[in-house]
Amino acid sequence: MPVTADAPRASRTSAGTHAVEVIGVGKSFGPVRALDHVDLHLDDGEFLAVLGPSGCGKTTLLRCLAGFERIDEGRLAVHGRAVALPGIHLPPHRRQVAVVPQEGALFPHLSVADNVGFGLPRRSPRTQRSRRVEECLELVGLTGLGRRMPHELSGGQQQRVALARALAPRPPLVLLDEPFSALDASLRVELRRDVRDALHADGATAILVTHDQGEALSMADQVAVMREGRVHQVATPEDVYAAPVDAWVASFVGEADLFPVPDAGAEGLVETPLGRVEVTGGVDDATHVLVRPEQVVLGGHGIPAQVRTVDFHGHDALVTLALDDGTLVHSRSGAHPPAVGTRVGLRVQGACRAVPGGLPGPAPAPTQ
Amino acid sequence: MALAATAVALLPLGYLLLRTAEGGLPAWWETVATERVARLATTSLLLALVVTLACLVIGVGSAWLVTRSDTPGRAPLAVLLALPLAVPSYVAAFTWVSVSDLWSGDPGARFEGFGAAALVLTLYTYPYVYLPVAAALARVDASQEEVARSLGCGPWRTLTTVTLPQVRPAIAGGGLLAALYVLADFGAVSILRLDTFTRAIFTALSSGFNRSMALTLATVLVLLTLAILGGEGRTRRAGARFSTAAVSRPAPALDLGPWRFVGTGVLTLVVITALGVPALSLARWIAAGSSAGQAWDRIGGAAWGSLSASLLGALLTVALALPVGLLAARHPGRLSALLERAAYLAHALPGVVVGLSLVFFGVTVALPLYQTTWLLALAYASLFLPLAVAAVASAAAQAPPSLEEAAQSLGTSPARVFTRVTLPLTLPGIGAGAALVFLTAMKELPATLLLRPTGMETLATRLWSATGIGRYAEAAPYALLLVALAALPTWVVVRRTGIVPADATGPRPARGVPRPADPAPTEPAVSP
Amino acid sequence: MIRVTRLALVGALLPMTLAACSPTEEQAPASEDTATEATDAADDSADEAAPESDGTLTLYSGRNEELVQPVLDDFTSETGIEVEVRYADTAAMAAQLLEEGENSPADAFLAQDAGALGAVSAEGLLEELPPETLDLVADTYQSADGTWVGLTGRSRVLAYNTGAVPEDELPASVQELTGPEWTGRVGVAPTNASFQSFVTAMRVLEGEDAAATWLEGLAANDPQIRERNGEIVADVDSGAIDVGLVNHYYVYELAEEQGVAPEELDVALHFFPDGDTGALVNISGLGLVGEQPDTDAQTLVDYLLSDAGQTYFVEQTSEYPMIEGLEGPAGLPALEELETPDIDLNDLEDLQTTIGMITEAGLL
Repeated sequence: MPVTADAPRASRTSAGTHAVEVIGVGKSFGPVRALDHVDLHLDDGEFLAVLGPSGCGKTTLLRCLAGFERIDEGRLAVHGRAVALPGIHLPPHRRQVAVVPQEGALFPHLSVADNVGFGLPRRSPRTQRSRRVEECLELVGLTGLGRRMPHELSGGQQQRVALARALAPRPPLVLLDEPFSALDASLRVELRRDVRDALHADGATAILVTHDQGEALSMADQVAVMREGRVHQVATPEDVYAAPVDAWVASFVGEADLFPVPDAGAEGLVETPLGRVEVTGGVDDATHVLVRPEQVVLGGHGIPAQVRTVDFHGHDALVTLALDDGTLVHSRSGAHPPAVGTRVGLRVQGACRAVPGGLPGPAPAPTQ
Repeated sequence: MALAATAVALLPLGYLLLRTAEGGLPAWWETVATERVARLATTSLLLALVVTLACLVIGVGSAWLVTRSDTPGRAPLAVLLALPLAVPSYVAAFTWVSVSDLWSGDPGARFEGFGAAALVLTLYTYPYVYLPVAAALARVDASQEEVARSLGCGPWRTLTTVTLPQVRPAIAGGGLLAALYVLADFGAVSILRLDTFTRAIFTALSSGFNRSMALTLATVLVLLTLAILGGEGRTRRAGARFSTAAVSRPAPALDLGPWRFVGTGVLTLVVITALGVPALSLARWIAAGSSAGQAWDRIGGAAWGSLSASLLGALLTVALALPVGLLAARHPGRLSALLERAAYLAHALPGVVVGLSLVFFGVTVALPLYQTTWLLALAYASLFLPLAVAAVASAAAQAPPSLEEAAQSLGTSPARVFTRVTLPLTLPGIGAGAALVFLTAMKELPATLLLRPTGMETLATRLWSATGIGRYAEAAPYALLLVALAALPTWVVVRRTGIVPADATGPRPARGVPRPADPAPTEPAVSP
Repeated sequence: MIRVTRLALVGALLPMTLAACSPTEEQAPASEDTATEATDAADDSADEAAPESDGTLTLYSGRNEELVQPVLDDFTSETGIEVEVRYADTAAMAAQLLEEGENSPADAFLAQDAGALGAVSAEGLLEELPPETLDLVADTYQSADGTWVGLTGRSRVLAYNTGAVPEDELPASVQELTGPEWTGRVGVAPTNASFQSFVTAMRVLEGEDAAATWLEGLAANDPQIRERNGEIVADVDSGAIDVGLVNHYYVYELAEEQGVAPEELDVALHFFPDGDTGALVNISGLGLVGEQPDTDAQTLVDYLLSDAGQTYFVEQTSEYPMIEGLEGPAGLPALEELETPDIDLNDLEDLQTTIGMITEAGLL
């Protein structure tokens, strides 16, 4: 595998520590700063989701990793091998970074099997090839469909083929570019699970780019939350949800009510519109206390509030309540939410997180 | 590569500048700034305008009827409507003149002049509009129209405000080709005796042996072309290049009710007038003359000459069009737009001027190629590059960049990506472009006469030879075979554009996926 | 990055295209050879005796293949010299010769009219013919500087429909055709070189003003304008036009196409008497292009001006012979009997002014 002249030296400096390294990567399109000192690390077999609203730079990051775009600064390394430095750009076909594009982008003129086998070495024996193709099709649950043409498949099946095609050459890194966005919601849940399982089963290292927090939280080992070209937080899904680093992440990932705290860095019992709540994990510059809807319990006693709206989801419901002073609060209730207009009492259960950051960012994506 | 390809198209232009510069600007101005030139320009532009408008009406109307209505017989009509493209304008004009006695009571009355030229040119030029518009209409996304209908737009308003704007690039591109064709045409205007620029150029050449006058007039033609290109460019909007890549749900045919028979009637009338008149005329020639038999022993050689020269011309043209078309489709920008537009400049020049420029080029630069099929093919490339460039550009849109990126990310080198992904996907569209160039080259006469290898015959040159001494019966078989051979690639073009209604071509593809063996829609006219 | 792949494609196309054009390539080298040998020979020969024949020559013919090829075939079987012929329109061919200049592959140029030969000769592209050749043809029908020579003669005539025009009403001069009795009855082909030569002759013989007046009178007399002489003759025969100004031999073409004898047609010829401009005799002619590599082209000239060559044109194209001792076409008055205007064809070179006048009159 040919590499750029600088690659051996560069790879020594970071040898073997991570499967994928993104260090201080910057990329601008004219005046727009698409990536601003992005740092990320992935271990072998790890699955990272890059989560952010549209325009946050996550797709640019993916295209830089794949080699479709050049970076302005920083470095990208895959399996210890530098693939991009400023001025040095390993072309996409030498990176061994396989992409699963948004619409699948199956080659319409090739059969499913030929699509899957597309990236396999041309000189590999026929039997070996077809074995790997079968294996990958099995991995994505499409055993026996190798002779079909892409247009004979449903949208979900097409995405499965696209994943199988990416996995077939066993690339050190698989990139998934919002691969489920064009699918029906019901299909999406099932496919997410299958894709995650297939990636794990194949031991692939993968990065998923998505704006859908449900997708990121449910699939990935690690989640990187991006906004305006910067990575705000990298953590496990649980930590991103439970311990967001700032108010913006808190409100982008999941439903969140944020209330200002009287003193920055306050800890212990803090006075909020919801009464006194226990605040933990506060950092020095924490300015808000984060209350998740599931912490707001509706019952006979507590702070009086009126039910404004109910978003019913079947297994639960998101209830929006207005306190007497007009403050809006969200609560996740059981399958029997109170009727709109009724007055209820509410209280906060468990400890709350204090987070820094001013006003929440752009409106968070709707949660399912 | 793209620059080199465009240079081929600009060869005639360079020659014109060179020759005009020999005389100097004052001499040029003196020749150009005359009342006659102003009159010629007015006539040429007016003819181009009238014919283009008529082509737009017939082309867009028939394209809509064939692709979007329940007009009975639309499948065969879709093919037949494209066939007038196979009739050379000189054959068309001549046959129209020679049957005009049938309906004219006064034997002295002549079928000639502006109206006649406009009629004949329209009948044989409208396929330039019909083909790309029908191809585009066949791919229009039904959902947009449904939204418009649901918002209270009637069928007519939906057509004018939603459907037609979507296919506007195809309409504008087709109109441009029609306009340039009219400007460059000599056969029809000379036979129908309308004094246009091309006729003045030929007259200057043929009666005064006055090259400088002829070429000076040709430079004015180039200026007119620039004006038309500029005007057409203003009607375009940027973007939406790849918007058609994913095949959308085909729109249902509109129920015309009893009017659908009117549709069939009108379309049949167009086909019958365009194809019936030449057929009738050729039949009369064969019946009336005694020389028909003489054609048969030479027709094979002439057909071979036509096929080989046109095939080589088509392949060379497409090879040159590939870089320009791909550049225009993949990297839209000032440079690519400029290169693409430049390809159109020679398209409005009469064949004799392009032929002479290639004679000059051959004799001064490429003597070993002079009077070989290669130089003739190069002349065809010069003349017909825009047809191929447009086809390549729209075919390239058929292989969206995401497919190439996916292939690259799987470790495939750019060269292999091209051969394994881009080429298979774009080949049908490029093939359609080649077919269009092929059939146009078959019809070409003046440049062929100047540049063919000594002794080589084509159907067009034999036709010219036979009619030159009034042997119309001998000419008729050549004309018939020429039209028949040109009809084959025309049919290919029609098939590739996906115009022929679904029920005639097999099942429609699943939604959201490009058809595998799907003929890449060809828009012989669309540029960014 | 795409560059490589494009080259690959072009490379892939080449074999196909080579296969596609192979039959024509066989011919191509022949003309190249002729061209290169022409220059080589010119270097070598200096003023030595003319080199031997190489058995092939390239002829540019502005005359129609159907009319010329048979006599060239006769020439080849007679002399063994192969003739590579390019056929094209005389005017376009003249333009092509001018464009090719010194590099022209042509050895000889056969033109439909004197004007084209004059235009090519004026650029110094035609070789002077030997005196033996020039002596065969009357001075009127050859170039003053000896660079071209007439091959056949064609007379301007008035073709008339025998049913529509009684013989006693036929005009004695073209001048009469502008009169009211001919309104809407006269067919002309103003874009045709033969008509333009005729108008040029009128300018020379009768003066610019007279020619301009005649053109205006004609234009005002509702003429029947056609693109070609052949169309006029066909329309006169069918009765669509009563009379038309054409060259004499078009009647014979029409008769042949219809498979009848010329006398059976409804169109007949009227030769203007008394040296009227309307009876101008023009020529088709021949010149040698550039320095000659060998004697082949001269051999062709000699053959075409021999009894055999001239008889062919008399019998097959119904044109007048240029050499003495041969009879003209059957059924036509002999060339000597024609009361042709007294004019030298060399004086008819200024077509430019003529075209200007025709245009001015609104006939073009």
